[in-house]
Amino acid sequence: MDHNAYIPKLAKIIEIKEEVGGARAIKTFRTQFLEDNGFSHQSGQCAMLSVFGKGEAMISISSSPLEKDYLQFSILKMGRVTSALHETQVGDIIGIRGPYGNSFPIEKWKGKNLIFIGGGIGLAPLWSVLNTALGKKQDFGNLTLFYGARTSKDVVFKQELEELKNKMTVHLSIDVEEPDWEEYVGFVPLNILDKKPSPKNAITITCGPPIMIKFVIQNLQALGFKDEQIYTTVENKMKCGIGKCGRCNIGLHYVCKDGPVYSWAELKNLPQEY
Amino acid sequence: MDKILLKKAFPQWVKKLQAYRIYAPSKDEDIWTYETVTTPEDIDLEFLTTALSPKKIIFPQREVYLEFEKADEDNPKIKEILPDDDPTIVFGVRPCDAKALTLTDKVFGGDFEDVYYWKRRNQTILVGLACNTPPSPNCFCLSVDGYPHSTEGLDILLTDMGDKYHVKSLTKNGEKLLNLAKSLFTPPKTGDKKDLQKIHAESEKKIKRQIKNLKKVPPKLKGMWDSPFWDEEAMSCLRCGICTYMCPTCHCFDINDEVHSSVPLKGQRIRTWDTCQFPDFTMHSSGHNPRPDKASRLRQRIMHKFQYFVEKYANYQCTGCGRCITNCPVGIDIIQVLDKVRDYGS
Ligand SMILES: Cc1cc2nc3c(=O)[nH]c(=O)nc-3n(C[C@H](O)[C@H](O)[C@H](O)COP(=O)(O)OP(=O)(O)OC[C@H]3O[C@@H](n4cnc5c(N)ncnc54)[C@H](O)[C@@H]3O)c2cc1C
Ligand code: FES
Repeated sequence: MDHNAYIPKLAKIIEIKEEVGGARAIKTFRTQFLEDNGFSHQSGQCAMLSVFGKGEAMISISSSPLEKDYLQFSILKMGRVTSALHETQVGDIIGIRGPYGNSFPIEKWKGKNLIFIGGGIGLAPLWSVLNTALGKKQDFGNLTLFYGARTSKDVVFKQELEELKNKMTVHLSIDVEEPDWEEYVGFVPLNILDKKPSPKNAITITCGPPIMIKFVIQNLQALGFKDEQIYTTVENKMKCGIGKCGRCNIGLHYVCKDGPVYSWAELKNLPQEY
Repeated sequence: MDKILLKKAFPQWVKKLQAYRIYAPSKDEDIWTYETVTTPEDIDLEFLTTALSPKKIIFPQREVYLEFEKADEDNPKIKEILPDDDPTIVFGVRPCDAKALTLTDKVFGGDFEDVYYWKRRNQTILVGLACNTPPSPNCFCLSVDGYPHSTEGLDILLTDMGDKYHVKSLTKNGEKLLNLAKSLFTPPKTGDKKDLQKIHAESEKKIKRQIKNLKKVPPKLKGMWDSPFWDEEAMSCLRCGICTYMCPTCHCFDINDEVHSSVPLKGQRIRTWDTCQFPDFTMHSSGHNPRPDKASRLRQRIMHKFQYFVEKYANYQCTGCGRCITNCPVGIDIIQVLDKVRDYGS
């Protein structure tokens, strides 16, 4: 364990991809540490990114642990730190500390059908676990992805999603009708009711805005999924990432340490504080 | 080890402690605070509850912990800023405030040790003073498993016995301080022991405020998440946060960058005390706030101290110092709140 958990390690941005433009811009960054420091993560974990002079922001690691050459983050431009990250160029240096939090219990899911359900930037935390599952495809049953965005312009990982269609079932959706859109139109929870995935021997993993998660869970339950079959992530405001600053709790859980990954069986027993 | 130190010999002892930075209670107008002292005469052990507890010495309200610098094309340079190495003594620590540090120890320890906290904690020796009379009318340590003469968290406990102190050394560090002036400390006489017991027993009787049956509160709180109780109790709250800033057990903090020069970039990363009583404490940048009102924030404060912490560590996260009661501008009184919780619905 690190001597001082608060001190970030320097990392170079080696690639920047613009996923979505406009007011809700999303960019994907790949980074490499300047010095090897033994950083090793599991799918579902996050890292605290620093832009010196602006501050820190907690971001999910969207690359799979199987990917050893870089760490990947997909970042929605929100406020001070995320805007500063969007202004960086390839070659710029940022700070990274972590990894933080628990992870998806993917070892427990061997032999099961996995259904990934993402909305908006929520595909970022899913991307890591999805790629880990794809990398060990023989360990799992069928893999399915539901992904929805507000408009076709808001879809992240466009090219990767096209390629993904050759490897697993992909159901895309946008919220409102557009002329050239051939897939589902409507919110993600409705797409699930439309496609009716089977709960048999299945695990669902859902990440996205709180309101989407709420209705996804309701609809999964309506389709017969049990609480133990439903996994999600919680993103409360965070500062320290290590259970000290007292900011991210849901009841007696500190999401930065005990989360962000929860099964609905666990989360439903915690107070509604997220 | 039990010893007796004559009050008139106290300055001689302090003179032997010159290798240490010494903090002691000091009065500024009518507010007592812990300040560094240079002569024994500056140490006044006849003091009332200090505005802040000695927590501020171990975990300062504002702390620079990292410096960063970036000239034009260079990579940024960062430097860890650690607390100094000066061994420190705090004189006149109240038993409740010493116990409070044993609680913040739990938070700053565990699987991610907080190096800033522990560096100061490990180099600081706490010399306590038993409360023969309660230093505040709102003291209620007896209700939260404390005593006015408790030794928990202390290295030495002094008890005022008129013209002398009874000195109980509790740790190796305590012993070390006594050994620096060995000849000043004499063994207690047979009568001293009895007198000490009497003083301690009487000090307990002088505590006026109490919460009866606090044991019933943690399980009760578990069922009160959705209760309208919190709206009623928080009605008068001005969300000033003083209850948490003055609290010896509260530990929440914020982290921010301060820029002193933009070209070349130079600045510091600091942590500052923060409070669950402020709306933006939990507000996401989307504007969504899981704790959007005063009621949910009062609930957090009470639940954290009397339910979550109890479940996690088997201790109340409160040591009965009474500061939050004394300082609340609208008279929200944690004793009354807990009394009402205990009796709620019965
Ligand atoms: C576990 C976790 C995983 C996340 N993963 C991603 C991700 O993969 N991609 C992505 O784009 N965003 C992610 N976020 C949200 C991201 O952390 C916030 O959007 C970001 O911190 C906003 O910072 P800012 O300085 O740009 O905004 P400002 O509004 O200027 O933020 C001010 C301060 O508040 C804090 N803050 C504000 N909102 C949030 C929030 N929702 N969550 C946490 N801290 C907040 C920031 O730390 C910052 O210091 C994640 C959040 C959490 C908690
Ligand atoms: S982010 Fe500080 S306690 Fe979780």
